[in-house]
Amino acid sequence: MIGSALVSWVANAQSGSPAPRPEEQPSLMKVLAEHGEHDIENESWNAYGQFTYISSWKLSFPALYTNLNGSINSLLPEAERSFTGTATLYLGVRLWRGAEAYFAPELISERPLSQLRGLGGAIQNFELQKGGGETPQVYHSRVYIRQTLGLGGQPVAKESSPLQLGTTYDGRRLVFVAGNFSILDFFDKNAFDIDPRQGFLSLGFLTYAAYDFASDARGYSYGGVAEFYWDDWAVRFGRITPPKDPNQLPVDFRLFKYYGDQMEIEHDHQIHGQDGTLRLLAYRNHENIGRFSDAVATFAADPQKNATTCTSFNYGSLNASAPDLCWVRKPNVKVGIGVFGEQYVAQDIGVFSRAMYSDGKTEVDAYTSADRSASFGTLAKGSLWSRARDVAGVGVNFGWISHAHAQYLRLGGVDGFVGDGTIHPARENSLDVFYSVYLPKSSLWLTADYQRVVNPAFNADRGPVNIFGVRIHGEF
Amino acid sequence: MASFETRRSRGSAVLGLALRLTALCVLASLASAQQQPSVRGFAVERFYPSAPGGGWFVMDDLNISGGLGGAVELTSGYARKPLEVTSPDGKTRLTLVSDEAFADAGIAATYERYRVYLNFPIPFLVSGHSGMLGPFQLNAPAVSVGTNPDAVSDPRIGFDMRLWGKPGGLLRLGAGAQLIFPIGDRADYVSDGRYRGMLRFLAAGDSRAFSYAVQLGVHIRPLNDSPAPGSPNGSEFLFGGSAGRRFTVARDWTAIVGPEVFGETAFVSFFTPQQTGVEGLLTTRFERIGHGRNLRIKMALGHGLVQNFGAPQWRVLGGVELFGEFSGHGK
Repeated sequence: MIGSALVSWVANAQSGSPAPRPEEQPSLMKVLAEHGEHDIENESWNAYGQFTYISSWKLSFPALYTNLNGSINSLLPEAERSFTGTATLYLGVRLWRGAEAYFAPELISERPLSQLRGLGGAIQNFELQKGGGETPQVYHSRVYIRQTLGLGGQPVAKESSPLQLGTTYDGRRLVFVAGNFSILDFFDKNAFDIDPRQGFLSLGFLTYAAYDFASDARGYSYGGVAEFYWDDWAVRFGRITPPKDPNQLPVDFRLFKYYGDQMEIEHDHQIHGQDGTLRLLAYRNHENIGRFSDAVATFAADPQKNATTCTSFNYGSLNASAPDLCWVRKPNVKVGIGVFGEQYVAQDIGVFSRAMYSDGKTEVDAYTSADRSASFGTLAKGSLWSRARDVAGVGVNFGWISHAHAQYLRLGGVDGFVGDGTIHPARENSLDVFYSVYLPKSSLWLTADYQRVVNPAFNADRGPVNIFGVRIHGEF
Repeated sequence: MASFETRRSRGSAVLGLALRLTALCVLASLASAQQQPSVRGFAVERFYPSAPGGGWFVMDDLNISGGLGGAVELTSGYARKPLEVTSPDGKTRLTLVSDEAFADAGIAATYERYRVYLNFPIPFLVSGHSGMLGPFQLNAPAVSVGTNPDAVSDPRIGFDMRLWGKPGGLLRLGAGAQLIFPIGDRADYVSDGRYRGMLRFLAAGDSRAFSYAVQLGVHIRPLNDSPAPGSPNGSEFLFGGSAGRRFTVARDWTAIVGPEVFGETAFVSFFTPQQTGVEGLLTTRFERIGHGRNLRIKMALGHGLVQNFGAPQWRVLGGVELFGEFSGHGK
């Protein structure tokens, strides 16, 4: 039961990994296996798919100002609707002993709230991508090879699922991954076996909001990951590509010059017979990014170097009285460290928490504008009320920005997501409550979701914001 | 008052002059635009890989048989100068697409004599040289893995059927259809921006150590950018053939070595050089068949026999296919 329960998530078009599918859930692979046409426990190939449509309605909210002095990153105070539609095909094939290859083409159509501006770590829909549009776009989300070298220990059975061939690994093993993937396919991956597309909608629960992992605008990266599993312990290291310019799609492949490094230590445990997991994750990015303090100092020394006079990549702010990071981008380092824990407390009920502290000296390069974040929540499957495939959850997410970041925003600066023209700095708080109803024998889930964001974009002068959402999600 | 009228008449004159200048500028720009029509691009790649498990690079061995089965394939290649265009007066030649590299990932499901498949082309590199050819402004594509890290262009879904003949026999006849979805960007020269389709009649056979395959078909292509040089002129006729000899190279492995020749010509100017491309490949494929999961490794060197219309100066290809029945009894 533990193996079929909950979680805090991960996964989306922007990153994250699909979760294993429960044994009783219908799929093409299970149909083939039932007809004797497929060995689902020792697969040479598999194919899965999903589609998800999410619609969000933001109600109008109070704001002392919006896009002050020509700044451009405010969440608009009038009512708005946003949506995403995604469809993904997950293909896997075994190449040789221990080697698996995965390919996942994906389609997305989207309309964000306020052009995906004005929220920190509390972006209401984790599927949203930077630079997306309503015209459907098809891309390959993942193309990678995974080589596993067994080192003995207790066998660990892996069920057939998206991005996972059904097989048995050694409990002690070395795993090498190379290619194009989401770093969240391997890092900060939750153990509760629920697909993220059945869970929280808020981006704040995808991973640490302050984990500015290197990736392109969709949340995917090129690079390599090495994992070492030793029974209940796992250690992993990954080096991945950053975007050429912050939050943009083009990728910088100079992995020895610009890169995102991360390391994670993981331990699985039991408390009173209930499974749990603890993780410690640290990252260090070396990227072409700007420091807030440098931008402020440059503007103070020469006001002509403001947000409207940029001669290199910038976000298009029209605030001539504001500093801008465009003047100070150079190779800089960004670091952060976080802890994550999840624990079953009863059958099909679990709690989780994660918190991360990033240095807050430099701008967001890929994920969210939060410099520090913490989230707590609980998730439950519906076995208590005889609807074992339903999922319910409630969680809160907190985000902070550094003093240097706040000073930059106070002067009217903008980064990839936030910048109202000035700021009354405050902790961005968000609440996410949802219920996903499983439609029997259909592999479809319908979700109702409510979110409340207080101090959007870390600004106490705006909000609170109420957002209602619905989702339909199907798997095959 | 006089002063006012004077100012007004001066103002009117200035306004009139401004309007005339504006009109002249607009007319000039329109004239310039008319003189320099810009070509929007199209799907330049003429190498349409065979279905996953199809054997040859372009032709199809039609060895579709057995129970429920499938195939996965990954083909990758590089083409040099796949699009050189000549000005209408024949005096100037421009290498609009000088380099093109791609991968193509595909999956197929087979049952008895039927096959359905899905292919995803992934452009790695499409680049060239911009320029003017006569009145036409031709803008070269600039695609690279860095700028387009996750691009997929124009996937296709297809259906093939072996109509007559047995696997391994002297003659097999079949037919196939494909639908190509226009998701790529025309400016990248990876898409027409319109749906396309193909209908193909296929033949293949084996005789002792020799194999062959032939195709004739129609590429239903709505795009007609005439008179832009080098651009598609609507639907095309597809043709091609291949022949090879089989060698045993190891206990479980055989190699098939032989040429493939394929091409296309626009119906509106049937087999005129400007609207015809023909390409030859010297192919070698290594196969391990009948030992559980079947494996095929393919390599080819190609040359544009009629280097027009997308046939490159030369190309190199490599591919891997895994195929067989799902129950593991081999093909």
